[in-house]
Amino acid sequence: MKNLLALALALLVLAGCGKTGKPAENSGQLTLFTWADMFPQEILDGFESETGITINYVNFDYNETMLTRLETSGGYDLVIADDYIIKTVVEQGLAAKLDKGRLSNYGNINPLYQKQFYDPLDEYTVPYGAGVQTIVYDPEKIKKDIAGYGDLWDPSLENRLGIIENYRVVNGMALKVLGKSYNTENLDDIRAAGERLLALAPNIRLIRDNKLEDELVSGEIDAAVMYTSQVTAALLEKPDFRAVFPAEGIGFGIMAFFVPSSSSNAEAAHAFIDYVLDARRGAACFEFLGYYSTYSASDPLISGEYQRFLTLPGNFSPGMEMIQPIGEEAEQEHNRVWTAFKEEAGR
Amino acid sequence: MKRGFWRKSYLALILAVMYIPIVLVIMYSFNGSRLSSVWKGFTLRWYAELFRDKSMFGALRNSLVLAFSASFFAGITGTLGAVGGAGRRAGLAGGVMEYLAILPIMVPEIILGMVFLAYFALLRLSPGMLTLIIAHTAFCVPYVYLVVKGRLAGMDKSCVEAARNLGASQWRAFFDITLPLILPGVVSGMLLSFAMSFDDVIISVFVAGPQTNTLPIRIYSQLKTGVSPKTNALCTLLFASAVFLCILSSYLAGFGPKKRKEK
Repeated sequence: MKNLLALALALLVLAGCGKTGKPAENSGQLTLFTWADMFPQEILDGFESETGITINYVNFDYNETMLTRLETSGGYDLVIADDYIIKTVVEQGLAAKLDKGRLSNYGNINPLYQKQFYDPLDEYTVPYGAGVQTIVYDPEKIKKDIAGYGDLWDPSLENRLGIIENYRVVNGMALKVLGKSYNTENLDDIRAAGERLLALAPNIRLIRDNKLEDELVSGEIDAAVMYTSQVTAALLEKPDFRAVFPAEGIGFGIMAFFVPSSSSNAEAAHAFIDYVLDARRGAACFEFLGYYSTYSASDPLISGEYQRFLTLPGNFSPGMEMIQPIGEEAEQEHNRVWTAFKEEAGR
Repeated sequence: MKRGFWRKSYLALILAVMYIPIVLVIMYSFNGSRLSSVWKGFTLRWYAELFRDKSMFGALRNSLVLAFSASFFAGITGTLGAVGGAGRRAGLAGGVMEYLAILPIMVPEIILGMVFLAYFALLRLSPGMLTLIIAHTAFCVPYVYLVVKGRLAGMDKSCVEAARNLGASQWRAFFDITLPLILPGVVSGMLLSFAMSFDDVIISVFVAGPQTNTLPIRIYSQLKTGVSPKTNALCTLLFASAVFLCILSSYLAGFGPKKRKEK
């Protein structure tokens, strides 16, 4: 029996060595690390056939998982993640500076999405899609004109509202109504926002991220605060729905490419970024992704039906603020406020 | 009459709760719309997209390799543990051993995942298929162990004793007597392990490497962009193959005992 066990262990080790002992030194492989379904298949296939580089597309669930993986192992050549985590990645020295000489299409980027808090000098990142929390509602059912977050408190909306499950966004709505910043670290302000939120609770029917747009389209809820990709999905289905940038000011989130400092194929990573930065391909990507186009050159190429919700309106005044990481005490206060709000909304 | 009605409606309710979600998943894999709240006519578009998606099939392949390996090694380890443990007296040491053997299913998965991550980093094992197989084998062993142990408890020990008495070596007695008797337990433990390994995401996320995306990780990470009907199409295909395997196995099982009788 002992022999058998030893044999099994030996086999296990042998089997393992064959597969993983030697990390892929293949210079023709690009390990792309991001969420699933971030690119249309045509773009991935096109890049492979034009450059001869094979794409190894691997996924993470949360930004934090990505950070842990970068900390503990190399092997990833190119990452797309959310803004706030990139700040940490850069601070920990896990990202490599971009070689802009290799990015011939660099000028296509919309400067509105550059020089942000996570990369103030634009040394590490290239934005790939932006999200805005947007109010979407069915004007057939809601007679009141909704112009901003403040209108969501209206008693006529009782039990008709769906919101995403993101405490910084939802608490931020109340902060904005009170005229404060999304990123305030003043505990009194956050508490006041919490009080305000409790008054919103009777209007809330759903708090969740997944498939919120489905509930709006099916009529389960009549208004929702959603992410951009959900707004796109809902508006494609029901073009009559009204999408509103809250008058109080909007909160942006940006996704961006960066090359990990442990990347073994930075060349391929740059080639891929440049490939996507191309105006036409960028437009195809944003249509597929359903997030705001971050490349000015792509904006006019986005096809008609998508044009109105994937590019910013011409008269857009950047009354925008990014949701940024905040101090621990403020973070805890946010969590308390959020828990109290969810309990109240659950009643 | 009335009793029959209640029985039937109870059965219908249970079946509805269990199978309606699956039927919906299959239905929406043919839906023309990306959203699942609207029906926009029949389409095979998602199947076409699925078959062009290399990363999806790469992940499926990794998951299959992983689940086969993990259930195989867990089958060996768990059986050896149960058989070896059964021969001993249940003293304090035996009790402790038993708890140690089933600990991995008592510890929350998220903690197990973090522990494995730290452990493999300590051993300087780069995350990949090897670390995935080790981690999955570890949490699958208890399933085999528990099922086989139950099977052993119901086994007549005198059969083994008779074999030994007649001069069979310990090995021969194990392979000729014990193993055939506990085999159904081993197989069902391994099937359970296969299922557990195939759908694990929490532990995998911690120990997977840059070359080993698994299917559950991929599907889970779709939450960012919205689960596309492509996933429904894949679920439908997997469900169809599971049904096929079930039919095949009951078909084969129907033949097995008959043949033995002829002998």
